[in-house]
Amino acid sequence: MADLAAIVVDGLVRRYGDVAAVDGVSFSVANGTIFGLLGRNGAGKTSTLECCIGLGTPDAGSVRVLGLDPTRRRELARLRPRIGVQLQATSLPEKANVREILELYAAYYGIAPRVSEMAARVGLDGKLDRQVAQMSGGERQRLALALALQHEPDVLFLDEPTAGMDAFGRRVLWGEVERLRDAGKAIVLTTHYIEEAERLCDRVCVVQRGRVVAEASPAELIERYGGAATVSIAADGFVPSPELDALGVWAKAAERWTLATRDDPGLALAAVVTRANAESAKIGSLDMHRPTLEDAFIAITGETIGDSE
Amino acid sequence: MLLRMFLVQTKAHFVWYFRRDGEMMFWSLAMPVFFLVLFSFAFMNGNTSRSSAFLVPGIIGAQVLSSGFWGVGVMLATFREKHLLRRVYLTPMPQWVFFASLVVYRVAILAAQAALLVGVGTLVFHVRITGNPAAIVAVLLLGTATFVSLGTIVGAVARTTESANNIASVLTVPLAFLSDAYVPIDRFPHAVAATLRLLPSTQFIDTFRAVTIDGASLAHYGAWLTALVIWALAGIAVSARTFRWT
Repeated sequence: MADLAAIVVDGLVRRYGDVAAVDGVSFSVANGTIFGLLGRNGAGKTSTLECCIGLGTPDAGSVRVLGLDPTRRRELARLRPRIGVQLQATSLPEKANVREILELYAAYYGIAPRVSEMAARVGLDGKLDRQVAQMSGGERQRLALALALQHEPDVLFLDEPTAGMDAFGRRVLWGEVERLRDAGKAIVLTTHYIEEAERLCDRVCVVQRGRVVAEASPAELIERYGGAATVSIAADGFVPSPELDALGVWAKAAERWTLATRDDPGLALAAVVTRANAESAKIGSLDMHRPTLEDAFIAITGETIGDSE
Repeated sequence: MLLRMFLVQTKAHFVWYFRRDGEMMFWSLAMPVFFLVLFSFAFMNGNTSRSSAFLVPGIIGAQVLSSGFWGVGVMLATFREKHLLRRVYLTPMPQWVFFASLVVYRVAILAAQAALLVGVGTLVFHVRITGNPAAIVAVLLLGTATFVSLGTIVGAVARTTESANNIASVLTVPLAFLSDAYVPIDRFPHAVAATLRLLPSTQFIDTFRAVTIDGASLAHYGAWLTALVIWALAGIAVSARTFRWT
């Protein structure tokens, strides 16, 4: 794994005055991986990402991207052509149009402009002459994504890429990110959208107050921290049979039986319904909950992620 | 590859910040001519030809100052505040290419302003430009280099567009009146005029006027030209140390 790592962050510290925004963060990202930094706003995700792309200087610790040190001027110069970046607050010149910006960025990277191809990939085809001032927030974000992708980077950094994006933009972005991953590239993204981390990321690094508090695949995090799946039923005359007892732990509260199980809750649900019907117990309500990354997040951090911007 | 980068970036500056910005075009092209006409009639007791001969190089000189402090200084602060600079910083474009394109863009606008002022001056007010064209262009370029480099310091030290605006106003407006641009400083007491001639802006405008209208030789103004070169180099050194992309 070590020789495949595109990014290695080791003991990273970044302070603003007395406050350590990043307080000893370490992780590594293998090629062909979508790596998510998940945490609340202010957890230190953006500061961490900035240190990887030369926008921030670490107060301690080290960062290597493709084996290069972004704090060294010459290494950063060699790194820049190989990374693509979409920043949280990307602003583009108001009077520039889609075609011109793509052409300018192609010139920055010394590549032939791929205006129509890129525009089509991010759903801006037919809008090549549209100026930034006339574009919606989602369109601007998709244009910013095209600028991060046009030169086919080996590593892609995305800072809260889907914040405020509509469903279409999210689908476009996820598709592009997965395409890049399947081509063997490394992607690092920050997010405070748990569904995004669960749906998109191969590995999730939970960050809280500048520290890494857990890191694994979403499935492993849920398995380890998400708690048991539950099936609960309210039905007159329902009593768990011995076979149902074997599925997990039953508890009764206010005429409602709840099963906590480590097995697949779908199968347990079927067994519970079968039992209720066999007993002619009339089902009042029925509920199943499979643990999600959100359950794991709450268990890990002791807090909800919050949806404040 | 660098040449293409430079050309595409320069054209982008021109199209985005000048050609598509009507207000900008008006302020940079119409206002200097308006000042020329207004002040030509207002000063010098009706002898508009003499006042214009003073004003044409003076206003061009004042445009060089504002080009540096507003055109480059405030523009850089705006770019930074709008997060445009940090985005550009992430690309492989060398930083000097970005600055060079900004300077060339400003020089192109200055050239248009100068041509317009000289045109109106000669056609309407019969101003005679007698200087050596190469010497005129050389002084103009040196002055531009000096004030762009000093303007970059404004863009470096100002945290926000607003503070850059304030610094640029404080520098440009008084300097335009104290540097022999609009008002002859010979009208001030001798000691005051002598002090004002220590300013790089006065030295530049006086040299430019003498070379343009009086056909003076560059050698005659060697000391002031050297001082301008030193100001330019000092400006570059300070901005290189203080400039922040984020």
